[in-house]
Amino acid sequence: MKDFMTGNHAVAHAVKLCRTPLIAAYPITPQTAIYEKLSEWEASGVLKGIMMRTESEHSAMASCIAASLTGVRTFTATSSQGIALMHEMLHFAAGCRAPVVMANVNRSLAAPWGFWADQLDSLSQRDTGWIQFYCENGQEALDDVIQAYKIAEQVYLPAMIALEAFFVSHFMEPVDIPEQEQVDRFLPPLDLPHKFDIDKPGFLVPVVSSELYRKYKHMAQVSMDSVKEIAVRVDQEFKKEFGRGYGIIEPIMLEDAEVVIVTAGSITSTARLAIKDLRKRGNKIGLLKLRLFRPFPVEAVQVVLRGKKKIAVIDRNISLGGGGIFCQELRAALIHSSDHPLTYSYIAGVGGTDVTPEVIQKIALEVMNRFEPFDQPIWIMEE
Amino acid sequence: MKKINHDSSYEFVIPISYGSTEVLETGKWGFQKPQTSFMTAPCQEACPAGINIPQFLYLTQEGMHDEALFTILRENPLPGVCGRVCFHPCESSCLRASYDESVSIHAMERFVSDATSNQVQDIQLISNRDSKKVAVVGAGPAGLSCAYFLSLLGHQVIIFEAKKEPGGVMRWGIPEYRLPKAVLKKEIQRILTLPIEMRTGVKVGKDISLDELNQFDAIFLSPGAGVNVPLSIKGENLERVWRGGEFLERINSKEKITLGKETIVIGGGNTAMDVARSALRLGSRVTVAYRRTRKEMPAIQDEIAEAEEEGVRIEFLMHPVKVSLLKNKRLAVKFQCMKLSGLDQSGRPKAIPVKGKFFTLEANHLITAVGEQVDSSWIPQGLIKSSLVEVNPSPKIFAGGDAVDQPRTIVTAIAAGKRAAISIDSHLRGEDSQEMYSKIRVGNKGAVSMEAYLASRNEGKWPEVREVISYQQINTLYFEPSRRVRMRKRSRKQALKGFSEVNVGFNSREARFSASRCFSCGTCNYCYNCYFFCPEGAVSLDPACRTRTVDFDHCKGCGTCAKACPRNVVKMEAWS
Repeated sequence: MKDFMTGNHAVAHAVKLCRTPLIAAYPITPQTAIYEKLSEWEASGVLKGIMMRTESEHSAMASCIAASLTGVRTFTATSSQGIALMHEMLHFAAGCRAPVVMANVNRSLAAPWGFWADQLDSLSQRDTGWIQFYCENGQEALDDVIQAYKIAEQVYLPAMIALEAFFVSHFMEPVDIPEQEQVDRFLPPLDLPHKFDIDKPGFLVPVVSSELYRKYKHMAQVSMDSVKEIAVRVDQEFKKEFGRGYGIIEPIMLEDAEVVIVTAGSITSTARLAIKDLRKRGNKIGLLKLRLFRPFPVEAVQVVLRGKKKIAVIDRNISLGGGGIFCQELRAALIHSSDHPLTYSYIAGVGGTDVTPEVIQKIALEVMNRFEPFDQPIWIMEE
Repeated sequence: MKKINHDSSYEFVIPISYGSTEVLETGKWGFQKPQTSFMTAPCQEACPAGINIPQFLYLTQEGMHDEALFTILRENPLPGVCGRVCFHPCESSCLRASYDESVSIHAMERFVSDATSNQVQDIQLISNRDSKKVAVVGAGPAGLSCAYFLSLLGHQVIIFEAKKEPGGVMRWGIPEYRLPKAVLKKEIQRILTLPIEMRTGVKVGKDISLDELNQFDAIFLSPGAGVNVPLSIKGENLERVWRGGEFLERINSKEKITLGKETIVIGGGNTAMDVARSALRLGSRVTVAYRRTRKEMPAIQDEIAEAEEEGVRIEFLMHPVKVSLLKNKRLAVKFQCMKLSGLDQSGRPKAIPVKGKFFTLEANHLITAVGEQVDSSWIPQGLIKSSLVEVNPSPKIFAGGDAVDQPRTIVTAIAAGKRAAISIDSHLRGEDSQEMYSKIRVGNKGAVSMEAYLASRNEGKWPEVREVISYQQINTLYFEPSRRVRMRKRSRKQALKGFSEVNVGFNSREARFSASRCFSCGTCNYCYNCYFFCPEGAVSLDPACRTRTVDFDHCKGCGTCAKACPRNVVKMEAWS
């Protein structure tokens, strides 16, 4: 059934469809609408799960981890300062191999205060051991929550879906809400082998020796690596059930492209229009959408970018002293490809500033005319 | 644990320890430890009898009605009476009143009494090798209370009561619709299961002289205020002008009384309200005339409200000056109009006449209820000071009740009887009772604890005096706002049909809910907050054995339990 709704409400629909018994969260703009919708449904009885109103995001995550380890599906939603406060518990979730699913609405981190779209909040958490997806629109946000559960529950690692503040969280679009029977068919009930066993009381997170610590970290890395394959499979299964699929990356008009624009999140939809226009004018421009960020789809990007001369990565984030984070990751992924392309880093849309088709076209044309590599990120400072 | 599909090279995904961390004595890291120390609740402090109200409410909530009754009986032998006619200062001190509405303590006391059996609940008489003989004069609330507590302390008591049945004002003053005689009878019977001898129909000073009581080791005088204060106006002795106390006594003796169509009652106290409401029940229209205003009326507020609900009209600022008999045999009562001006010696606003302003009301009967006095004619002058009997120069004679107490209420008389029992016991043991009172005080408003006194007599050790808890010390975040339960009443029409009890009492659901509203200020009610919030799992509670223990080997002294205690029972203390 199609309905007209915001990305936040699409996420709430997905959580309900996944029959999540425990949601622990703390409200924060611009995520609050998810929290409110789920609360509303809890009050009216539509949502069968429990909304735990915790006193902080740190506690929300701690609650999700504990509940998850009893063998139930859990969910939380947060944003910006909230995910920053959660940081310690994010490591715990991954270390405890708890398949918690979270929606993070990408919002700028203070200081200074701001409420607008910026991906730095979730990208700052890239090393916490969470699977990360970046959503282009509300439909993808809904679908990604369902897929995230299916992936996380196979590898026993937590998964986060990131949607940008307002551009996705608050924009209303037609969203197709799957039937409950479809979701039930697609997503089997959770079976967690290491859940608490009342008959055999144990203590999680004990102090371990250096060797054991190394062993568990290595195991987690192996599991995380396997996500690249599992995510592709799950997406295919999803497409079979629901008629939609995304791929872990999406190559758009890449075959003959001389310059490739790389985006993640909502800028992708703008870029789709921009390159269509450039193509009409005879420019060989392609687009690559990054959907899965952790684990980084190294092999997949190597394949689709083989033989390309130049790529321009547009980052709605800045790692101070480094550059755009997607660009860093992409450069690292391509380093072992022979004859890898020149990679240009563009910082655009930071703090929620608008990235228009004109901005994207300007970047594409500029890259076409550049021939020397450029180490520093280039800031788009349009008013 | 089952193997993981995608990665068969490792058996486990996460380290789990099945050992115990008990070997780590984390308790040694701390520098403070939780201690439970109970505090006195303001309701308990305000209760002249010092009843442990939070405790009896907790027990009621748990459905332990016998234990709840026993808790009350340790400090007050007459819960069925007090649960009906007490002026319940406990409720005005209830800390919950600062939050939403006070707990219905008064009605709960009645519920506990009504819900339990007739028997004395295993009240432990202390073994007294040096048992003495004590005479108690007067079987009203003070005399019965004194006899009861003396008996608990192992003394032999004989009560001398002038009337044919015991109970004093409870038997002959308060009408049936407020205090059914069956309730009183049940309570007196319970007291008399103790080794107390009751001699009724013996008036000391007439049938037996006070000198004859000298054979006793101690004497307690609680004569009660049985003499009606006269109006001292012209026409007071007319046939249809009655005294309130006598009127009530006739009703309580089941005498058949016929009243005319209209009755005027003079007075503003509880007796006036009792007279007015009784007159209504005898089919008369009733007007109460009081010389001050509503605010100054000494009657219990509930009684005034109930009287008005039943149809009693109250006129203020009126003082009778003359009663005359009309030709149609009706009475004409001339009133002086009054106004308030300044304060009298007791600090109450003074009523003074409005010069030249009078008016007259007609009625079939006039009943006066302007106060009662103690008949002290039989007490040797040397024992009397300023018209009241006081704890006096003769070391073996003690006094209480209306003879010494202000205000004149049932519960203050009970409290006086208890104090006298303690004074007599310490006197007989040759100890200083004044010093001892400070050790058994319940708060700072004069109430004393028999439980504490008995504990010291049994174990030779004084329990620690508990300080009074304040509203700021209650963690109200743990309480949901709620409304207090109001007791159901018989309809006005039904109530006026006869002398059946007006207030219906709580059913068990209402009682349980009312009890659950108690904050249990300063008293552990096993809410388990400390248990649930302790991050170390170091707290153990056992409500059945009433024990709370902390595993100090593993308590780090974080203080979470103290913070989480809604009622300030857990406190952190330095640890050495």
